[in-house]
Amino acid sequence: MLLKLTFASLYARLLTVSMTVFAISLSLMLYLSVEKLRTSAYTSFTDTISQTDLILGSRTSSIQLLLYSVFRVGNATNNITWESYEEIMNKDEVEWSVPISLGDSHKGFRVMGTNLDFFKRYKYRGGQLIEISEGNYFDDLYDVVIGAAVAEKLKYNIGKSIIVSHGIKSFTDHDDQPFKVSGILEKTGTPIDNTVIVSLEAIEAIHVDWSSGAKIPGQETPIEEIRNMDLSAKNITAAFIGVKSKLTIFKLQRWINEYPEEALTSILPGVALHELWRIIGIVENLLLGISIVVIFTTLIGMAAIIFSSLNERRREMAIWRAMGASPNIVIGILMLEAFIISFLSTLISSILLYILLNILQPWIDDTYGILINIELLSLKDLLIFILFIISAMLVSLIPAIRAYWFSINDGMTIKI
Amino acid sequence: MKFILSILIFFNFSIAKVYAEETRQVDKHEHGVGELNIATEGDVIEFEFMIPGADIVGFEYVAKSDADIASIRKDLQTFESYENIFTLPTNSRCQLTEKQVALKEDEDEDEDDHDDHAEENHNEFYAKYSFECGDTKAINKVEFPYFSTFPNSGELEVQFISSIGSVSFEVEAEEPSINIDGKI
Repeated sequence: MLLKLTFASLYARLLTVSMTVFAISLSLMLYLSVEKLRTSAYTSFTDTISQTDLILGSRTSSIQLLLYSVFRVGNATNNITWESYEEIMNKDEVEWSVPISLGDSHKGFRVMGTNLDFFKRYKYRGGQLIEISEGNYFDDLYDVVIGAAVAEKLKYNIGKSIIVSHGIKSFTDHDDQPFKVSGILEKTGTPIDNTVIVSLEAIEAIHVDWSSGAKIPGQETPIEEIRNMDLSAKNITAAFIGVKSKLTIFKLQRWINEYPEEALTSILPGVALHELWRIIGIVENLLLGISIVVIFTTLIGMAAIIFSSLNERRREMAIWRAMGASPNIVIGILMLEAFIISFLSTLISSILLYILLNILQPWIDDTYGILINIELLSLKDLLIFILFIISAMLVSLIPAIRAYWFSINDGMTIKI
Repeated sequence: MKFILSILIFFNFSIAKVYAEETRQVDKHEHGVGELNIATEGDVIEFEFMIPGADIVGFEYVAKSDADIASIRKDLQTFESYENIFTLPTNSRCQLTEKQVALKEDEDEDEDDHDDHAEENHNEFYAKYSFECGDTKAINKVEFPYFSTFPNSGELEVQFISSIGSVSFEVEAEEPSINIDGKI
């Protein structure tokens, strides 16, 4: 009976009520989408590297090593000599390792030298391998495999001839030794998409006529001669390592970190990612703070709307009272109203969120490399909804008490 | 994401450690920060603690007086029972199979020939415990009575690895536990 009455009353004010519901739904949707973005960004981050036990680099902080080796952000302070790398590679604990060499670029995209093991060993998103979508992995010295985003943004196809630039932002090109695109990788949603991958030997080859970071003037070794040279890498920037048993990982890590011949660092990627996220956590907390303020504003907004409608509804309440409703029933009706409005809002906000996510997901993935998984609301979201509904009912107590007061005092004829 | 990362690089330079000499290096030793490595594979889980002496006994000079020696002995004894340091959920049915407790002194071997460089000495409590468990997946939480056992203790920096991946924790006396539910 009470429910029917409340619905009828809400229906009678359909326009104002639906506007209120819509406003609250939008705010809730804002909260949900911020929350979704927050968790998706974290997952995208942690999904970038998977099943690599240690990352080896020169002595540096763990976050910096992680950033330049995995996210291609920033630069290494030093390289590692091949001798040290080989010694570590031959340790009993090591099952596999993949060396990488960074430092050159192509049109703003980082060039990474590695060997074919990279494609077999580097995993992302819960153990997924990097697949090739077109062409083949590098076979020739001057073959290059490019990430999906490189191919898309520069509109490169298989067979395209490209020039690698020396350094990250420099005007000197290795134009005497052009490369040919041999393969394009599948999109991964990781920094691999923005990477140009060549062999370690190719990195050595393009630096044959270079000394101390500059090209030796007048010296140009013919390509045929370079092909016959010993191009095995003399140093690398970092290496990904897999261990035979997780139980030996800390022993190996300590051994590397205390390696006397060269100042090295080895990190557990998950540990460094966590440290990194602790710093980013500041931004995360800020976003969360904004979301909470949004919800709070919404609640106050709802109370204000119920409040402002009270005056025009004094007659309605007086009729309820005349029909025999006690003042407590009046409070009940208003709280029930708040419940219905907030409940409808949570439903609509969820629907709006899914529509929005479906529209924006490809764009966010392309632009920011953050893959948003469209899935059912989490338990936490549901809990927030329940809390929101309870708070909405509590907030509605303020206008409800006022209505109670009116209903005691007002007669059928209202004198304002 | 790249933008955030670029900002981070800036923060990062301030903490990067670069050593000029390759062969001269000193291990880090920070009072108030103990290290804990946890590794698990199959039925086995291992805990390895490296705690600065100052966090346990309150001093790091070479114990000479009877009282100091007794204090170190007592604390090493405390480490012998892992329950004083950490506890595992009982339904994981973990049995201690191996343990190693030692005081690692960063000191000259033949100390009698030297003067006492009390302020330069460092020592470290080292403890390693291996368990075989009925169900490692049931280890959802590790609690650390360590903080109440040793009132001088600071925080614990935890590195954790399992077949699922690695993760880190910072544990402090206010919340002396880590939640590793779903990480094994």
